Amino acid sequence: MGRMIRVSLVLLPLAMLTACAPDAPDAAGGSKPDDADSAITTTIATVPPNGESVTVQVLDNSYRPIDIEIVAGTEVVFDNRGRNEHNILPDSVKDDAGLAEMMANDTSPAAWGVASTEFAPGDVFSHVFTAPGVYPYYCSIHGVPGVGMYGIIRVS
Amino acid sequence: MKLFRTLLGVSVLSVSMIACGSGDDSADAPSTEAPTSEAPTSDAPTTDAPTAGVLNVPADYATIQEAVDAAAEGDLILIAPGTYNEAVQVTTNNIVIRGLDRNTVIMDGNFELDNGFRVVGASGVAIENMTAMNYTKNGFFWTGSTGYRGSYLTAWRNGDYGIYAFDSVGGLLEHSYAVGSPDAGFYIGQCYPCDAVIRNVIAEHNGLGYSGTNSGGNLVIVNSVFRNNRAGIVPNSGSYELCYPQRKTTIVGNLVYSNNQPDTPAIDVAILAMGNGILSAGGVQNIIERNRVWDHDKTGIGLVPFLEEDANDAIPGKDAWGTDCATQKQQSPVVPDGPLLWDSQDTEVRGNVLEDNRRADIAVGSAGTNLWELGNCFEGNTFTTSAPLELETLAPCGSPLSETAGDWLAGDLNVITWLVDAETAPPSVDWKTSNLPEMPTLENMPDAATAPAVPASATPPTIDLAAITVPDKMD
Repeated sequence: MGRMIRVSLVLLPLAMLTACAPDAPDAAGGSKPDDADSAITTTIATVPPNGESVTVQVLDNSYRPIDIEIVAGTEVVFDNRGRNEHNILPDSVKDDAGLAEMMANDTSPAAWGVASTEFAPGDVFSHVFTAPGVYPYYCSIHGVPGVGMYGIIRVS
Repeated sequence: MKLFRTLLGVSVLSVSMIACGSGDDSADAPSTEAPTSEAPTSDAPTTDAPTAGVLNVPADYATIQEAVDAAAEGDLILIAPGTYNEAVQVTTNNIVIRGLDRNTVIMDGNFELDNGFRVVGASGVAIENMTAMNYTKNGFFWTGSTGYRGSYLTAWRNGDYGIYAFDSVGGLLEHSYAVGSPDAGFYIGQCYPCDAVIRNVIAEHNGLGYSGTNSGGNLVIVNSVFRNNRAGIVPNSGSYELCYPQRKTTIVGNLVYSNNQPDTPAIDVAILAMGNGILSAGGVQNIIERNRVWDHDKTGIGLVPFLEEDANDAIPGKDAWGTDCATQKQQSPVVPDGPLLWDSQDTEVRGNVLEDNRRADIAVGSAGTNLWELGNCFEGNTFTTSAPLELETLAPCGSPLSETAGDWLAGDLNVITWLVDAETAPPSVDWKTSNLPEMPTLENMPDAATAPAVPASATPPTIDLAAITVPDKMD
């Protein structure tokens, strides 16, 4: 079995984040328009890991299951069981470089994912989703948001 | 980068090369000679060219991507000769993207860009008459498409596949040439029914000439040439992609020869399959007929198992082989405790002409399953050697196979030794620097400047399989 890469974004229990809308997951699965930022101030409660874990198989070129529902605090384990490299990018990110930039500058729950260079066949990536929301993602090598190799995580 | 889970794939089918002797026009192998039709020489379409819905590159749009982004359904994008350092993404349905000259409209990834063209979720997109080279992934790539077509394409020295159709149905790949990819020159995978045709293509100096993982169902490969790859035509099963098993691919009238090439780039499975012409690695219900297959170190046509470690689901039983891909995607996997052995089953091998395949011209093997229980049959082939011996007597078509038909162990194929062979086989060569043949001047599509735009149909052409005869060897 491949190496385990754990990038667990565990935020302080019940920390209150001001929703910088472009970064925060949107209930509809997309980024909020800019004008929404000034009009709405949202708070997102985060919770600690709850010890639960769900696995998503990463195949060539699909995530299985595509659509999962979890409760906040659940760890999602992505297991690359295919023969090709893949990545896992939030829909708002264009590519591996964009992910790196996001991870360097964004500490919100919306900042998660793994670059293809860190997710070769046999690799495992896990992430704890601490804030409710809808987290659409995709592989930029084999799809675009919502088409081809993509998935969605619904956190309640 | 490819990953090398411990896969034990064994695919062996010998392939030979053929000069297509069919009465069907489509039987002609793609020409490597200069085009007979008059190739356009100007940078823009002539005044005879259609103008409505025609987007010219670079006359109207500086880049191909700009033209693609501006195109509406039904439009034709005409690309003038030149070198384009672009990775073009297509998401608009029913457009046609055409080079004015296949040999001088060059998409060049400079070993940095990923795909020459990537068609994502768009249907009816046809790409015609150009070359894609030096891409880190694929020359031409369709995924999630209903209706796709690639005509008169050249894929040269790309880092994964040459021409790649994944999770797409209703396809036609024709008059195309793929060389120098570590995986397959041509690939159609994860579809059932695929409703696709590959015809009049040449694949050489790839890891695999053709690979089709978990694909089939009205999938036809005809009148083409697979030569000088590590292995020739390799349909295969595995749970690392969806829609398993590979099934119902029809392979007729192809020339398959000399697929022992030691200096190609190659993924692990290509190294394992090296030295085989047509190799079914865990495929079922395939039809392999009237191909000419010669000069292979292992088998000409081999039906062998694929051993998959770290499998992701159980092998579907025969009662599930008719399940379409869309339905199977909704099913929950049952991850097995141990490795899976995907046996090749219920495949018919008839009327092929084979010679000089050093292990055996025709062969069937397993790794624990009784061969007579697999249902593969062999009939009317012209051959000298088989594994096991007397294979056409042991496994005739049209009647149930029996343990008592003869000695199934005499001269049987020990595919386990192939795993050892793979350890000592020539390693993969860097795709960026591997030795390739001199790039030929290849046939252009007729009337590229003036031919109307015809988006890809979701219904591929019907091939008159009965009219295809065993092709003659090429000069």
